[in-house]
Amino acid sequence: MKADEFQLIKSAKEGDREALNDIFAREQKYIFNLMIQLTGDGALADDLTQETFLLAYQNMNKFRLQSSFRTWLSKIAINLFRREYRRKPKHVSICLEEIRIPSKEDIPERIIIKREFQWCILHSLQQHVPKKYRMVLILRDLQNMSYREISETLSWSISKIKTCIHRGRNILRDHFINGKCKAFAEKDYLCICEGILEL
Amino acid sequence: MNCKEARSLFSEFYDQELNQEISRTLEKHLAGCIECQKEYDSFFNKILKVLNKLKTYDIPRNYLEGMKKRRSKIVLNDKK
Repeated sequence: MKADEFQLIKSAKEGDREALNDIFAREQKYIFNLMIQLTGDGALADDLTQETFLLAYQNMNKFRLQSSFRTWLSKIAINLFRREYRRKPKHVSICLEEIRIPSKEDIPERIIIKREFQWCILHSLQQHVPKKYRMVLILRDLQNMSYREISETLSWSISKIKTCIHRGRNILRDHFINGKCKAFAEKDYLCICEGILEL
Repeated sequence: MNCKEARSLFSEFYDQELNQEISRTLEKHLAGCIECQKEYDSFFNKILKVLNKLKTYDIPRNYLEGMKKRRSKIVLNDKK
């Protein structure tokens, strides 16, 4: 933890309102984006972000400064997501049907298709990878957390994190290849995007 | 190292979590195996990199404002 963050949190825990606002304000965007990535639903992400900060505020005295503040907040956010997910019905697939790859000269259309590909990849992760693996992949591949930070956030061992990342990525990959996503269903799926993802 | 062993290490290789020795052995395998190269490039170098570059969203409102209102409501209710 950085020295200024340590000092701010210490002051916040001692009742300094300005320090509390400052440390919370720094993490709002991060937590909101984490929630969007986990749920794929802006309105739900909004509610859960609000709840995360309320819970964090009510439990500041329980934060022992053993992890970064962001990791601690992520832990609260993930627990709220887990609770919410238990209530939600299972998703019905609405994947892309078929994608016609535009020619290399047609840049504007390639950019549109690239966005559809990106949407499809994120959608597959959010809706077709089981929750346990999805959480780990979002923390690793979208939030760039280290294995150690993920282990602290989820309270799982490093070896469990490694296994889940490996299995989760295999599930995501298989979803594209075997897929309900026809864009990736070809046997040799390497050429499907024809460089569009690298645009 | 055979293909099955190599593929089981892709994730940790991508995350740079392998030790140097195993990492080098895997690199050697990749250099000589087109099938594994394809598998690694298409998924790890494309799909996962897309996830890494997805845009971030601005917050729709200031959550600290909402929190202040909720806090004042709690205080008001307590007074009743």
